[in-house]
Amino acid sequence: MLWYKVWLETRARFLISLVGMTALCAYRVYDGNHSASSSIPISYRYFILHSGQQLLSVMWLVAVTLLMMGGLLQEKVTGSASFTLALPVSRARMMKVRICAGLMQSALMIVVPWTAMYAASYFSGPAHSLDQVLFYVVLLAGGGAVFVGTALLISSLVEGTYTAPMISAGIVLACGNAPKSLAFLNPMDFIGGRDYLGPDNLSNGPIPWGHVAAYMSVAALLIVASVKVLERRDF
Amino acid sequence: MSSPTVIETMGLSKLYGRSHAVRNLNLTVRPNRITAFLGLNGAGKSTTIRMLLGMIMPSEGSGTVLGRRIDDPAESVALRRDVAYVSEDKRLYNYMTVEQMIRFTSGFVPGWREDVATALLRRYELPAGRKVRHLSKGMHTKLALLLAIARSPALLILDEPSEGLDPRGVEQLLETLVAQCAEGTSIFFSSHQIEEVERISDQVCVIHHGRLVMDAALDELRESWRRVDVVLPGGAHVGDFEMQGVERVHTRGKQMSVVASGNVDAIITRASESGATAIDVTPVGLREIFLQTIDLDTSGEN
Amino acid sequence: MLFRLTDSAGQPRYLQLMQQIRHAIESGALSDGDQLPSIRTLAVDLVVSPGTVTKAYSELEHEGFIAMHPGAGAFVCVSRRARRLGDRVQAARDRVDELIGELRDDGLLDDEIRRLFEAGLLSAARTAAKR
Repeated sequence: MLWYKVWLETRARFLISLVGMTALCAYRVYDGNHSASSSIPISYRYFILHSGQQLLSVMWLVAVTLLMMGGLLQEKVTGSASFTLALPVSRARMMKVRICAGLMQSALMIVVPWTAMYAASYFSGPAHSLDQVLFYVVLLAGGGAVFVGTALLISSLVEGTYTAPMISAGIVLACGNAPKSLAFLNPMDFIGGRDYLGPDNLSNGPIPWGHVAAYMSVAALLIVASVKVLERRDF
Repeated sequence: MSSPTVIETMGLSKLYGRSHAVRNLNLTVRPNRITAFLGLNGAGKSTTIRMLLGMIMPSEGSGTVLGRRIDDPAESVALRRDVAYVSEDKRLYNYMTVEQMIRFTSGFVPGWREDVATALLRRYELPAGRKVRHLSKGMHTKLALLLAIARSPALLILDEPSEGLDPRGVEQLLETLVAQCAEGTSIFFSSHQIEEVERISDQVCVIHHGRLVMDAALDELRESWRRVDVVLPGGAHVGDFEMQGVERVHTRGKQMSVVASGNVDAIITRASESGATAIDVTPVGLREIFLQTIDLDTSGEN
Repeated sequence: MLFRLTDSAGQPRYLQLMQQIRHAIESGALSDGDQLPSIRTLAVDLVVSPGTVTKAYSELEHEGFIAMHPGAGAFVCVSRRARRLGDRVQAARDRVDELIGELRDDGLLDDEIRRLFEAGLLSAARTAAKR
């Protein structure tokens, strides 16, 4: 039943974001490839793909921030927290369902648009290697996980329906404008490729799983913290 | 105490900074009756209820609801299976329809009574397909009540249940509560509506500044509290009437009004010994008993 | 059944209800063998706690006016003891009616008469307790 609630609560936001992102990204790739003649070098195709990734990343970060809105603290503002908390369910379980649903939705919002972009690319010229697509997906998921965790933790700490996502968005922007010296920590730079992409926008080595694991751990810590914070809170 | 209790608190306290919202509360609520919880705004009623349901952690002390500890997270979840709560704001999920709210809530409660839900849906005239955000305040309250009652709980806790209801809605609410109690549900409700409390309650608990100041059967209060109006031609002296049972003495010239919670015949004796030419004994309503208990001067003179 | 409970009496509600049921039996509105409403039904009709109805019924059973059969309900079955009680009450009522008539003739208002009875009962109780 908790899944039912989370779905009803987020389905509008999720579906609109998903459809919008998929359509825009697919169009960007298709149009980019189409407007170029067939004699352009393959690197140009990858440039198109890279711009698709950039577009997706920006939209994805916005969408995820909006999706993580809600939760018990925001219910306190709308007044339904009393009803939810009186249900015979532990707070941890409520959070876990919300988190799992949020992670699944976030993942779908990477996979579906990328599938569409790959298809768009496939139908408008020579296909790109699946490895490259996978590389981009991992970059976005790895770095992005940190932002998902941040948004969840903020929503457990900050009251106010719009204050929480605004702070999360602020953090994203701060990461986007952080000094270059911190680039190797910055998940935003990771999404952008950092030193893993060569000048031709192709990966210059294997997928940096170590780094991904590090970011995933940070995300996991943030998520666990968001649950613990909520468990201790007085409502 | 060997007899069962539905709610029992032992030294329950909640501190916010340096002030006690609830102080050393020893509340006992017995099963199969309707217990009213009275108190001024900010007296600690809502805080107490929230501690009972695990929404707020007590600072000190402990409590049980239906025999399960309120400060243990696992037991708190277990007790909430058998306790239905209607909060003061009664707000539900704006994005769900009436029907969806019913389906959602029923999923958590094995003892859900679909027949009761359907009957109440009809009786309260609630539109099944309408979203909660488009319900009027009265309908909102009725839906919240429906969701609590169709759970067929062992204990029903309500915080200001009649707020936002029109007179017909209030009547329906009181009938529903009484019917639920007859089915075996224990009812614990806080209210500012003294008339409603007087109509249906068996027991009255009063909380003031976080402390329990009264816990009595309403019938006993009706039997024992009296106002004795006395005319003393020799002048009325407050000091003469400082005796057990006297709650407040009020004089004006040769007239004296004594509000007593008991020992009334001794007061009458004292009055006639003092040479009273008229002694009138009248009952005292719950509103005055409540105000007197929390030490408010109802007529301003003393 | 038409019963009505008020709050102005300063008297426990179950006593009020008992008086009304007894009156109904004595005046013939309820006859021997008639079934009383179930506790739930009467509680909802009067909008009063079921505990009140239960107490009233069980006291009336104790006094011999009704009998409660588990599973079947409550029935009027005025026992001999209660009948005697009923006759005494009837006789007392006649005397009270007469006295009230006299006091009214003397010019006393109903409120004053009521207060006199209240005060009188309370001092009488004290005297009885002393004895």
